[in-house]
Amino acid sequence: MDFELDAEQVELQRVVRDIAERECPPALVRSVIDGSDDGLGLWKTFVELDWPSLTVPADDGGMGMTAVELVIVIEELGRVADPTPFLATTSQYLPLVRACAGPEARGELLGALCAGGTGAAAFAAGTVRARRDGVGWVLDGTAAHVVDGDRAASIAVVAATDDGPGVFVLPAQAVAATRTPAFDGSFHLADVALDGVRVDAGRSFVGSEVAAGVAQARDEAVAGLAATMVGASQRVLELVLVHLSERKQFGVPIGSFQAVKHMAVDMYVAIERARALCHFAGLTLAEDDPRRALAASMAKTAAGDCQRLVARHGIQLFGGLGYTWENDLQIFVRRTKVGEPLLGSTSEHRARAARAVLAGHRATEAV
Amino acid sequence: MRSTFDEKTEAFRREFVAWLEENAPDEATALSERPRSTAHIPAWAREWQRKLFDAGWLVPGNPPEHGGRNASLLEVFVHQEEIGRHHIYASFNPQGLSIIAPSLLVFGTEEQKRRWAVPILRAEITAALGMSEPDAGSDLAGLRTRAVLDGDRFVVNGQKVWTSGAHDADVILAFVRTDPDAPKHKGLSCLIVPTDSPGLTRRPFGSIVGPDDLDFNEVFFDDVEVPAENLIGELNQGWRVATGSLGHERAMLWLGFAERLDDLIGHGGREIVARGLDDDPLTLDWFGNTVVDANAVRLLGYRTLAKAGRGVEATEQSILKLFGSEASQAGTLHMMETLGVDGLDPDRRSAPLDPLHDEGFTASWWERYVRSFAGTIAGGTSQIQRNIIAERVLGLPR
Repeated sequence: MDFELDAEQVELQRVVRDIAERECPPALVRSVIDGSDDGLGLWKTFVELDWPSLTVPADDGGMGMTAVELVIVIEELGRVADPTPFLATTSQYLPLVRACAGPEARGELLGALCAGGTGAAAFAAGTVRARRDGVGWVLDGTAAHVVDGDRAASIAVVAATDDGPGVFVLPAQAVAATRTPAFDGSFHLADVALDGVRVDAGRSFVGSEVAAGVAQARDEAVAGLAATMVGASQRVLELVLVHLSERKQFGVPIGSFQAVKHMAVDMYVAIERARALCHFAGLTLAEDDPRRALAASMAKTAAGDCQRLVARHGIQLFGGLGYTWENDLQIFVRRTKVGEPLLGSTSEHRARAARAVLAGHRATEAV
Repeated sequence: MRSTFDEKTEAFRREFVAWLEENAPDEATALSERPRSTAHIPAWAREWQRKLFDAGWLVPGNPPEHGGRNASLLEVFVHQEEIGRHHIYASFNPQGLSIIAPSLLVFGTEEQKRRWAVPILRAEITAALGMSEPDAGSDLAGLRTRAVLDGDRFVVNGQKVWTSGAHDADVILAFVRTDPDAPKHKGLSCLIVPTDSPGLTRRPFGSIVGPDDLDFNEVFFDDVEVPAENLIGELNQGWRVATGSLGHERAMLWLGFAERLDDLIGHGGREIVARGLDDDPLTLDWFGNTVVDANAVRLLGYRTLAKAGRGVEATEQSILKLFGSEASQAGTLHMMETLGVDGLDPDRRSAPLDPLHDEGFTASWWERYVRSFAGTIAGGTSQIQRNIIAERVLGLPR
């Protein structure tokens, strides 16, 4: 396997990092947290750069790149605790529409996205039901913890039908969304109530191929969350490394103590482990590799392990200085944690990865 | 980035696999005599190694006269990968094949290559590596075994320890101090010492696996005379040979850990299924973790390899030994505990016997677990690795 980023991917990573650092300093994230900014200025910048259309197929007016590039960009935005709806729009809404919408609707919906529209996705087949009503459909139920469900222009809802899951795309006005408290004030989570909401036939996608499309989109969404967590973890490590070299006690930098060094190395290893699996998840999505679901679960598991260790060691290694609101550390500790319980926790994905491999052993045993 | 190698490399892989399946010794042959240490090659395995050498499949990166076919780095890698996947040992004197012969080929004279390297590669003789001493483990540059040049010979006095296979080896590649006044690593030299030299005593001692598991040796040098022509590299330049020896094929060292993790997933996973534990949440938790570790090690390894192919030393490389060895140890411990008392049974094999492989990997789960400490101790302990990564990769102060 050739598992190195190619020259264009490295360049993309560099460009996104430069721009994200410049346009999204911690001061901006703090303004979003305290309510004095809504992050939409930054979103406009992203739209001008065409970043939201990164993985929109070229035929639909986008840049036609793969999930590998998406994972690279999302990691860089996680590294600055991006307060815009980029993650939900590109790694949740977009994959659902791309995989499940009919050709005509897909062109329109992705066109709106390329023009700067935002989107959210509710993977809610367990709690939302859709029934046919004339030519359209009616949705009932509540989708919990939808990323950007309170501020995206469109919401793609995965709901249960009598024929398996369906995908229904609604304008924000059609739903009652309530932002739910999240401990990361720059990250939006919402409960989306659907109380007899009608959806036009042209925005309802039901059929035999939809289930596979939903599964694939969900894998991409899982990989996106993992990449965000890796990016935020990377920033925690960077902050810690500066501190360890600058902070002196007993006349020497605290980074010269072995007990401290070893903790920093463990953070680094955890990040590299998770990053490699995020790239692999992107690669399996890009190549439509059958290991896609396993890869997404492995990425989310490793990112979950990574955030746990990085946050714990990160706060500890800053000592009292890591215990304050002023220290930017807390912004990234929050961002790396917030993805952990969404779309399946670390333990759920770990078990899913184990089951995928053990099922293979059972199959060979049966033969 | 893509999930396969280029077609030329894959064609090379297919050619080797076809040859392997045609030529590998059969099970009865391999079971006729088992190796008893890492420098004891049974007669059938000597023949097998020579066959690999003659066909250019022993060390494919070497030229044909040294058992290869001038293969590229990626080709060398897929060859290693298939050797591992097929659970085959190319040589039952692994340190001879992968450390000592390559060091001789890099640092030796033509005469030394002909006299020592080729016979090691052709399994005519076996070799052991004399590095560690009782007071020089992680601090290798502190070694004290003395060699004094006296006319056309060196006179060696001192002691080595952990010298794997020394009691079965024909020669030892020994690192000795030739200039006691120079700073630590500047006064070292490297000698080939025949083990039948008068004054050389080898004392094998048991490992944690058992008193009969004899591979480690203490080696005592008591006025051992070594011809000056056995000096490898220049006088007092032994540190270069040492770092070269340990650094050899560094871009692929991780593969052993990846294979061990894959074996753990394969052997352990089948055992878990057989015992109906494949729905047990605690088992799923550690097993899932091992699956994640195994894949991450391999992916980071592939990245290292791709960079090495372009002549770039990857930072990923530095964490692979640390991460791979600790992951494999943790997973093996979990597997042993999952089996309860059965995990401790020394006679209960953890995998079907692979006759062309060293039996260490098909031993009991307890044995596999204790052997996993070779990974976290040998070749630089995990603690030393963390110091090195902190300073060289993360840039923390010394």
